[in-house]
Amino acid sequence: MPQSVGFFTDTSVCIGCKACQVACRQWNDPTDGPASSEFSLPQLSGDSYDNTGSFSDVNWRHVKFIEQFSEDRSQTAWLMMSDVCKHCTDAPCMDVCPTKAILRTEFDTVYINEPACNGCRDCIAACPFGVIHISETKNVAQKCTFCYDRLRNGLVPACAQACPTQSIQFGPIDVLKQRASQRLSQLQQTGQNEARLYGADEQVLGGLNSFYLLLDEPEIYGLPSKPKVPSRSVSSSSLWGIVTSIFTALAILFAFRGRTSKLSIDETTDSNRSKVIDP
Amino acid sequence: MNLFVADAHWGWWIIFYFYLGGIAAGAYFTSTLIEWVGNEEDREIAHIGYVIAFPLILVCAVLLILDLNQPWRFWHMLLDSETFRPHVRIGSPMSVGSWALSLFGTCSLLSFVASVRANGLVARWHASPRIGILLRVAGCVVGFFVASYTGALLTATNQPIWSDTTWIAALFLTSAASTGIATMILLGRNKTTSATLGRLERADRWVITIELVVFLSFLGSLGVFLTELLDTISGKVLVVGTLLVGLLIPLLIHFRFGGRGKWSVTAAMCVLIGGFLLRWALLSVPSELLTGR
Repeated sequence: MPQSVGFFTDTSVCIGCKACQVACRQWNDPTDGPASSEFSLPQLSGDSYDNTGSFSDVNWRHVKFIEQFSEDRSQTAWLMMSDVCKHCTDAPCMDVCPTKAILRTEFDTVYINEPACNGCRDCIAACPFGVIHISETKNVAQKCTFCYDRLRNGLVPACAQACPTQSIQFGPIDVLKQRASQRLSQLQQTGQNEARLYGADEQVLGGLNSFYLLLDEPEIYGLPSKPKVPSRSVSSSSLWGIVTSIFTALAILFAFRGRTSKLSIDETTDSNRSKVIDP
Repeated sequence: MNLFVADAHWGWWIIFYFYLGGIAAGAYFTSTLIEWVGNEEDREIAHIGYVIAFPLILVCAVLLILDLNQPWRFWHMLLDSETFRPHVRIGSPMSVGSWALSLFGTCSLLSFVASVRANGLVARWHASPRIGILLRVAGCVVGFFVASYTGALLTATNQPIWSDTTWIAALFLTSAASTGIATMILLGRNKTTSATLGRLERADRWVITIELVVFLSFLGSLGVFLTELLDTISGKVLVVGTLLVGLLIPLLIHFRFGGRGKWSVTAAMCVLIGGFLLRWALLSVPSELLTGR
C-alpha cells in the first residue's frame, strides 16, 4: 500500500529561481505536443519577477514574488513562494465534479482523469486557490498531477527534484509535518514571530497535502485563510429553497382556491361578461 | 470574500439556461398546481404552461451541451464514462441537477404531448387518476428542484458573492415562479377567461411579494460584502434591474391598476426583464470582482 505523500514548501528558503516552474512544464508538457512549437516567451508583466502572473492551463506551478515596502521605503521585504495545487483532504474540486473525472490516487493526491472530463468548469468555480484551468488544446480541466507518472515509477516529482534550496520538500506527509514543526520552532526562536504553517492541520479543508511555511499572513501570499468546502453549503441552501418552495406553492394554491372571496366573485362576474379583456 | 479564485467563465449559454430553465420550471409547477385546485375553466391556462415548458427545457439542454468544452461528452454527467453505468454524486449540485433535468424533461414532454394532442393516448394517461397524478406530482416536485438547484450550484463554489450567501437557490426559485407565471399571462391572456387571468395575476402578486422578501434577505445575508457588490456594474444592475424593474414596478402596477389590459402586459414584461437581469447580474458579479482585484 503506497504511503500518503505530500509537499512541504518552506517559503523562508525560496529564492525565486523558478526551477520548479520550468521542471514542471518540461516534464508534464501541458501544451500537449503540436502547440509546443508555437511556444513563445511570456510578456514582461512589470510585476516584480513574476511574468506568468497566475496559474494557467500550462503553468501548473507559479512562483510568486511579493514586494513589501514601508511607507518611507526605508524597510523592505521580498517574499517568494512556489505555489501549486494543494491536493486537499476535503478537495472542493473533487466534491463538485459531476463526471467523477477528479479522483484521489493511491498516494492520497488529487488527479484529473482527462478522458472523463467534459469541461463543465464546475471544479474551476469550486477551487478556492484558482489552481484549475481549461486546456486550450485538450479542452479539459488541467492542474498539477503531483507527477503521478513519476510517483508510479518511484521517482520524486519534477519540481521537488529541481528545487536547489529544498524549499519544496517531498515525502510521506507525517514526516513532512514533523519537519515543518521543527523548522517553525527554529524560525520563531530567531525572532520570526510572524512565521506560521498553512494547511498542516485540519483547519484548512481538512488538511493540505501540499502545505506551507509562511513568513506572513496567508492573504499576503494570495491564500485564503478560511476556504470553504462547497458541498457543505448545499444543505442550508436547499433548506431555504424548500421553505420558499412551500410558500410559493401555497401562494399559487390559495390564489386558485380562494374563489369565494369578493375579488373572485367580481372576477367570475367579469368572466361572464367578456371572455377577453384586452384583445 | 475569496478573491484568489479563478473565473469559471460561465457566460451567455449558462445565463440563458438559468433564465429559460427557470421559466420552464416555473410554468410547469404552476400548471400542475392549477390543475390540482383550479376549476374547469382554469385548465386552458394550465395547458399553456405545459406547452411552454417542454420546448424551453429542450433549448436549455442544447445550451448546456454547447457550454461544455467537450460537448460530445455531455453524457458523462449521467453515465460513468468507463463502465457506462448510471452514476450520481449527491454532494455535486451539477450531478443531481443533470438527473433532475432529465426527469423534468421526460415529465414535461409527456405533459406537452398531452396538451397538444388532447385526444391522444398520452392525454388519456395524463388525465388518468393514477398515472396522471403520479406524473404531475413528480413533474411538480422536480420542477421546483430544477427552479432552485441552479442557485445551490452557484453557492456550492468558492466564487465571491455566490459562496457568501445561501439565499440564491430560494431567489432563483421565486424568480422562476414569477417569470413562469408572467409568460403564462402573456401567452394566455387572449385564450382564457378574465376570471382565470385574475387568479393567475393574484398568484403572481403573491409570488412577487415572496420574491421581494427573499431578495431583501439575499442582500442582507451578504453583510459587509454588500458594499463590494454595489461597487460593481453588475451589482448595480442587480439592485436596480431586479429590485426596481422586476419586483417593485410590477407590484405597484398590480396594486394600483389591477389586471387591466395593457398594465397587466407591462407588469408581466417587467417581471421577465427583471428575471433576466437577475441571472445576468448574478453570473457576471464574480468575473467583475476578479477582474478588478
